[in-house]
Amino acid sequence: MISTILLLGTILSTVPGRIEDVAGSVRRNVLLPIGQTLDRLLAPVDRALQPVADGYNRRLGTYFGEMTGLQFALIFGALIALLTAGLWAPLVSGSLLRTLALASIWAIFAMSWDIQSGYTGYISFGHSVLSAAAGYTTALLLVHVNPELSLWITAPISVLAALVLGLLIALPSLRLEGPYFSLITFVAVLLFYRLTTAFTSLGGIPGFSSPDVFTWDPTMRYYYMLVPMLLIALALTFMARSNLGMILVAIRENESAVSAAGINPTKFKIWSFALSSIPMGIGGVLLVGFTGNVDPHTFVIVDNSIEMIAMAVIGGMSSILGPLGGAFLFEFLNHEVLHGFSTPVRYLFLWGLVLLVLVFARDGLFRMIWHRLGAVRGENE
Amino acid sequence: MSVLEVDGLTKRFGGLVAVDDFSLDVEQGEIVGLIGPNGSGKSTVFNCIMSIYDVTEGTIQFNGDAITDDKTHEIVNKGLSRVSQESNPIDLYPVAGNIKLFTLPNSIRSLRGGASDEEIYEYAARIDIEDKLQEMPDELPHADVRRLEIAKALATEPEMLLLDEPFAGMNQAEINELAGQIERFREEGMTIVVVDHNMGGLMNLVDRVVVLNNGEMLAAGSPEEIAENQRVQEAYLAGEGL
Ligand SMILES: Nc1ncnc2c1ncn2[C@@H]1O[C@H](COP(=O)(O)OP(=O)(O)OP(=O)(O)O)[C@@H](O)[C@H]1O
Ligand SMILES: [Mg+2]
Repeated sequence: MISTILLLGTILSTVPGRIEDVAGSVRRNVLLPIGQTLDRLLAPVDRALQPVADGYNRRLGTYFGEMTGLQFALIFGALIALLTAGLWAPLVSGSLLRTLALASIWAIFAMSWDIQSGYTGYISFGHSVLSAAAGYTTALLLVHVNPELSLWITAPISVLAALVLGLLIALPSLRLEGPYFSLITFVAVLLFYRLTTAFTSLGGIPGFSSPDVFTWDPTMRYYYMLVPMLLIALALTFMARSNLGMILVAIRENESAVSAAGINPTKFKIWSFALSSIPMGIGGVLLVGFTGNVDPHTFVIVDNSIEMIAMAVIGGMSSILGPLGGAFLFEFLNHEVLHGFSTPVRYLFLWGLVLLVLVFARDGLFRMIWHRLGAVRGENE
Repeated sequence: MSVLEVDGLTKRFGGLVAVDDFSLDVEQGEIVGLIGPNGSGKSTVFNCIMSIYDVTEGTIQFNGDAITDDKTHEIVNKGLSRVSQESNPIDLYPVAGNIKLFTLPNSIRSLRGGASDEEIYEYAARIDIEDKLQEMPDELPHADVRRLEIAKALATEPEMLLLDEPFAGMNQAEINELAGQIERFREEGMTIVVVDHNMGGLMNLVDRVVVLNNGEMLAAGSPEEIAENQRVQEAYLAGEGL
């Protein structure tokens, strides 16, 4: 008996060492050769595309970031795939266009969250309150003012509402350093949730079903969501690659150095929140046009706020395009790959994925791929 | 005309009086040494001037302007820059990026402003780290990290520099070189206050010395006078030598 325990003890005590050995040999014998093979295969592609990428780099590189041949291929390929999805997606699966439309909306949320939380490090746990402000403004205008109001009137007012609420949250809370900001955003979304459920004039649990969807045509609906998403991605990438992005990252890394540089960190933190609120509002308006319903579950619940963080984390925070990719991966897994499972099981898997990324690939999957592609050239020159 | 006027500065942390009724006038083009044993309040004086701390009592003027209640960034933009005792570069950016940050305008509309590569090179060259512009701060030897801190301060185009222990951790050759560079800043028109523990690097650099002890001014005078001063000697007996 005792010898069994001793034996077991010896075996157990070697387990951690074994795991490290296994991980090491996996890296040596599997990952490294795969990486080298990929490099060998991709290097000629990279070189072939380099002239095209250089053309882009010369003209637009300073504004949107420079790319290598492969990075350019990834962005350009993805862009073509998204723009032509109306043609090929229905052939892949009946629900794919819907999933891609939804992913576009969530990509807007994840990128908006990123330009504020990912860049400054002041993490917002309540960003869904901003899209909710836009959604509820649209619904309330239709219900209480005039059901015939056009989108050209309701949409700008709704985005403005998101911006005003954003400033209401940011102005007092971003003057403080430390965790207060995160807590206040968290409370804000809980408060908004209770507000919408407590009063029937605000729709209560069922919400408002009076807003119309933009269109019933799934292809058109997809493009209504895709085009604003791409424009927002372009605008936010442009901002992130400017001085603004540099200052926001510096705030995250070392706020006192920003003050010492003669730059007012509070002003920039508030500006980043405003800059985040506007596309959040646009995303909210699009979500109304997608669902045709404005209710607490679709718009407000704190799960929404956490979900956009999850997408940004999976893709790679503080990169704008990372969260975009993260949103598409998240929605694709959720609605295409895992659609046969019940909601709890799907989310169990998705949150597990978030945890894995946080532990093993903290920079996010898309940032990892991006840097890997960028490194192909470096190792071959 | 006085560039910097500190008048009756007092700073209390709870019950602890870190700086007690301290006054200091610095004239245009001067290099003033501020010395004192460990914990005597030297860095606290700088932190109060830069509004890192709120003052408990007293006023601070820069070029005749009250800056006591200004924010740190406003003071920097008025032409007063401080190199702190601890280096705190941003490790994500190379040396050039760290310097560039300090040239960016405080404006949300300025998306492309800031120094050009040539200008960044110039700032770095004034303190001899122009060869390290592409290196990451965590790869630099200590003396270069300290030089980077000074380059960052230079990049804000200051009229006046507050240097907190710039010589700490440097060898004699590095100290001499840095003292020469500081002398050159003065020739370019800058006014400078240098904090140090002891007279080591200051003797041939500063025009006059102010000694702090337990938050109070203990003595002031030429470097020679201070080196001879009996009360200063005694204050230092408790700790290391003068
Ligand atoms: N933020 C703070 N909170 C509480 N006490 C502080 C704070 N900053 C400084 N002190 C105290 O004030 C006194 C003066 O500190 P200060 O750092 O100004 O001394 P110093 O002369 O710069 O010393 P050193 O030569 O070690 O840098 C010390 O007793 C210190 O513990
Ligand atoms: Mg000090």
